[in-house]
Amino acid sequence: MANTQDHLEPGSTRVSTGRFNLMENRYLVNMRKYWMLYVMILPGIIYYLVFKYLPLAGSVIAFQDYQIFKGILSSSWVGLDNFKFIFTYEDFYLVLRNTATIALYQLVFGFPAPIILALLFNEVRLMLAKRVMQSLFYLPHFLSWVVVGGIVFELLSSQGVFNMMRGWFGQETILFMQEQQYFRAIVVISGIWKDVGWGTIIYLAAIAGINPSLYEAAVMDGANRWKQTIHITLPTMFPTILVLFLLNIGNFLELGFDQIYNLLTPMTYSVGDIIETYVYRAGVLQGQYSVTTAIGLFQSVIGFVLLWIFNRMARKTEQGLW
Amino acid sequence: MMKHVFGKSARVSALVSLLVVSILSGCTGNGEKPAASVNDAEKNMPVTVKVFKSHMGVGTIPGKDNEHVKYVEEKTGVVYELMTTAPGSEPTEFLNLMIASDDLPDILRPIGGIEQTLIKQGGALALDDLLPKYAPNVWKNIPEEAWDIVRSASPDGHIYYVPKVFLVPERAPMIRQDWLDKVGLSVPKTTEEYKEVLRAFRDKDPNGNGKADELPTSGREFGKWMDHLFGMYGVAMWEGVPEWDIYEGEIQYAGVTKNMKAAIAYIRELYEEKLLDNETFLNKGDVWQAKINNNLVGSWYHLPANLRERYTAMLKGAPDAYVVGMPVPKAEGFEGFVTQKSMGEPEWMIPTAAKDKAEYSLKLLDFFYDQSNDEFIRFGIEGQQHEVVNGKKVILPPEDSRPIALGMRNLTTKEDMDVRIKETIPEDMQKMVQDVFAVSTSDARRIAGDGLPNTVYEGFPDIQSHKLFQEYLTKIVIGEWPIEKFEEFVDRWNKAGGEAVTKRVQEWYAKVKE
Amino acid sequence: MRKTTGDQLFQFFNYAFLIAAAATMLLPLLQLLAVSFSSPIAADSKQVFLLPVEFTTASWSHILQNTGLWRSFGITVYITVAGTLLSMLFSVLTAYPLSHKQFLIRKPIMLGIIITMIFNAPMIPFFLTVRELGMMNSLWSLIFPGVIGTFNMIIIRTFFTGIPKELDDSARIDGCNEAGILFRIYMPLSKPVIATVSLFYAVGYWNTFQRAVLFIRDPEKWPLQTKLRAYLTSPEELAAVNLVLGDYDFNTTTLKAATILFATIPIVLVYPYLQKYFVKGSMLGSLKE
Repeated sequence: MANTQDHLEPGSTRVSTGRFNLMENRYLVNMRKYWMLYVMILPGIIYYLVFKYLPLAGSVIAFQDYQIFKGILSSSWVGLDNFKFIFTYEDFYLVLRNTATIALYQLVFGFPAPIILALLFNEVRLMLAKRVMQSLFYLPHFLSWVVVGGIVFELLSSQGVFNMMRGWFGQETILFMQEQQYFRAIVVISGIWKDVGWGTIIYLAAIAGINPSLYEAAVMDGANRWKQTIHITLPTMFPTILVLFLLNIGNFLELGFDQIYNLLTPMTYSVGDIIETYVYRAGVLQGQYSVTTAIGLFQSVIGFVLLWIFNRMARKTEQGLW
Repeated sequence: MMKHVFGKSARVSALVSLLVVSILSGCTGNGEKPAASVNDAEKNMPVTVKVFKSHMGVGTIPGKDNEHVKYVEEKTGVVYELMTTAPGSEPTEFLNLMIASDDLPDILRPIGGIEQTLIKQGGALALDDLLPKYAPNVWKNIPEEAWDIVRSASPDGHIYYVPKVFLVPERAPMIRQDWLDKVGLSVPKTTEEYKEVLRAFRDKDPNGNGKADELPTSGREFGKWMDHLFGMYGVAMWEGVPEWDIYEGEIQYAGVTKNMKAAIAYIRELYEEKLLDNETFLNKGDVWQAKINNNLVGSWYHLPANLRERYTAMLKGAPDAYVVGMPVPKAEGFEGFVTQKSMGEPEWMIPTAAKDKAEYSLKLLDFFYDQSNDEFIRFGIEGQQHEVVNGKKVILPPEDSRPIALGMRNLTTKEDMDVRIKETIPEDMQKMVQDVFAVSTSDARRIAGDGLPNTVYEGFPDIQSHKLFQEYLTKIVIGEWPIEKFEEFVDRWNKAGGEAVTKRVQEWYAKVKE
Repeated sequence: MRKTTGDQLFQFFNYAFLIAAAATMLLPLLQLLAVSFSSPIAADSKQVFLLPVEFTTASWSHILQNTGLWRSFGITVYITVAGTLLSMLFSVLTAYPLSHKQFLIRKPIMLGIIITMIFNAPMIPFFLTVRELGMMNSLWSLIFPGVIGTFNMIIIRTFFTGIPKELDDSARIDGCNEAGILFRIYMPLSKPVIATVSLFYAVGYWNTFQRAVLFIRDPEKWPLQTKLRAYLTSPEELAAVNLVLGDYDFNTTTLKAATILFATIPIVLVYPYLQKYFVKGSMLGSLKE
């Protein structure tokens, strides 16, 4: 704090009289000039303080033996006991590994899918066909995972399409849902099927912002469709892609309980038991709020560290989230 | 516009400081609130009692002027105010939130072990003296044995809740008589004969459609609803979940006994020969039900009281379909039975905070346990809960626009079940259903672990959720692992907390036996 | 324009792939439609594929006559419209300063906001907060606790950041203040993203379920999705106690299908309507060059 002088901007007009004056002045001048920006953001700040930070303070129960009947003030403090409980849970590393593996698959395959689909849509010249297909692609997003899970089980059953096709080639029936080597592929593919159309919307909005005259100019220069995609479409989408990627990274270990829960069977526990399904057993079935909060904190810290790293990298090229 | 936002935020920010305090303190819980309506009672006004019951399904919450509420009020002087969970919510979580915000009802139906949270933290009212005084019908209609189990579930031996009592077995092994006739066999008496029957079902096209699509027997995901296959080996099973019973002279987890090992070995053989539906562990409820409806399954385990819809569907494809109860086939060296859990599950309890209203809460409860009110409890009000067709009262299906009627009785005797069958099953199916019940009743046995409080699992979520068991069961049965892996399971189960849980259960059982 | 064989081949495969994939996305809804018009026994026996079996309109007439469902429908429409408007207002007001370098504290605030995206508040404190604000059983509890979707707000901010700041300067010279710049210049330029984010919010509000379960005790105020669960969760084991005698041409399976469609079709129709904004926003790109 005492060294603020080093950080002074060259254009500062006032001369420092006290230690903090220059600092204060710079902000005060800015606030006076752009006061409206500060007023605008006020509702947002209040929202985040009241509905996010205030309840977030309740995370202290991760360091307590929280008893709902007593409340936070009367529950006893146990230090890091809850974290010890998690890290000594015999299947913890299995669960963590499963979570990270599936998360990685989803990032590698699931994340680019809507980008590719958006580019494919961009190549469709017939306006009506484009609109109709976009509208169809976004339908599955509205089906819950219970319904989609049922469809997946049915498609992959002995009577399902895949085994029917195997039958045509004289191959044996495979019960895909109870063989663990297929589980992760099923999770990734069903996830893409359900949400790819939905995820595309945002990229289509980005593409919509491109001026058609850019393409015309490119055609004049002799660029084919592929080159246009590489040099015009993708660069325009890039800021959106980057932001979405960073936000994804921040929630890296959160896979979404519903999907996994509805696809999991005891025969695929060894590859599909993830943090959220464990939290369900410990939290919902046993009401161990302190333990589940501790797990949540652990997930968040990992996510935050990853985001920090990637955000630094992002800032070198374009811009980061902050 | 700015001004508006600003004004709002000022108000909000003033609230923030208040909030911090209240959230930190949570609730003090056991602080007794003065009950204003008790004063009303002294003026001979009806007392309002808030009743919480989850899973009420569709329908509106009846108001004060609802006829059902009025009728109950006339009889008891108590106006009931129903509170329920939203569909799809987790009732345990809902109750936890009620506790956390100090917002408990006057009488509630606990779920998911919440009763133990309340008992342990001093939030439950002891009912030992109040019950005989204010709820004589509840007190005398529930057998003494059930009260003993309730006493054993609390550390100080008091009665903290009214238990659910179900004196008939709800579930039964069933088999298709018409299939047996077609393959020329009779109801199997031993596990070997059962296997023979299943083989005949598999090979001899008993559904007569010319395709080998029969699934001799089938169950559901997680090993649910195939308890008949475990029951033959004396394994206490409840919807695919191993229970606690006496093995080798001591109460034990049925999942780790040699009975279980024998049962799994047998089931594995059935699976290998395709006598057990090879997709049994992948069957969601609706898929399993469709298989039975479509005349694909020969033998299964379920609730006979639900047979009606299944049977109606079967008749479409197989006009001579007939279902009978199957006595548990005898396995060499084992004593088979149909697992029955009859009592001990908590049904109603009163929070300490609602102590002042306990008298009225119990009076309300007593109304439902008074047999002279049976007719009203079953049928309710005409036009709301039933309609009269050809002079007979017919219960209406639940609907969003109709009010829900409170029911509090959860005591089912043989007589109750008979009446229910008469009222809910068409005449031409009644005998079939009664016969199925008769068979399962003669095989049924109450297990030693009936009424075990789930506090024994505290700190061991994986033991409570039977995750380890399910993984080993399914992988051994589908042939991915050899049966020898069972020993590994027993070992891992014990180390993962099973040993500690077993000790707690044995201590509990010693208390019950006293 | 000249088309190469490669282009044509690509076009062919592109259409083939997109049409095939789109078909798989339509099938489940068609099947639900068929089930909703089928008899209960056919539905429970899984005999229905894409055409109704033993055609009956019983499920639909049961549902459409159901006043409770229509009331829930009204509530959902209300929170969707009011919620989306409020959310857009809050989000745009928050995103605008955060996209401007002149706003000196934007980085710490942005970081603070991102943190709330990664660190989730435990449920009980969250519940108590809303309760203490007096929102229990009020429809506001379905709107305010999530009035800014951080993801959506950041999307808007990303677009705002891409708008050339020379525009701000010229507007300022013309006498606009910050609010004027936002509403007169930024908003019209950002139509595609405004449409997109409005859609995201609208769908979010339309699907409100979890918050209703937590905060709404009065069934008369349940939104559509909560009502829908009443049909989705019908544990058959409970049926043993609640069995009903009588012959109806619908059961929970067919009602469930009809209700899912009833609750889905209106929101699905919003997207085609919004699509026109995706081609109108071409100005942004031209300014960027």
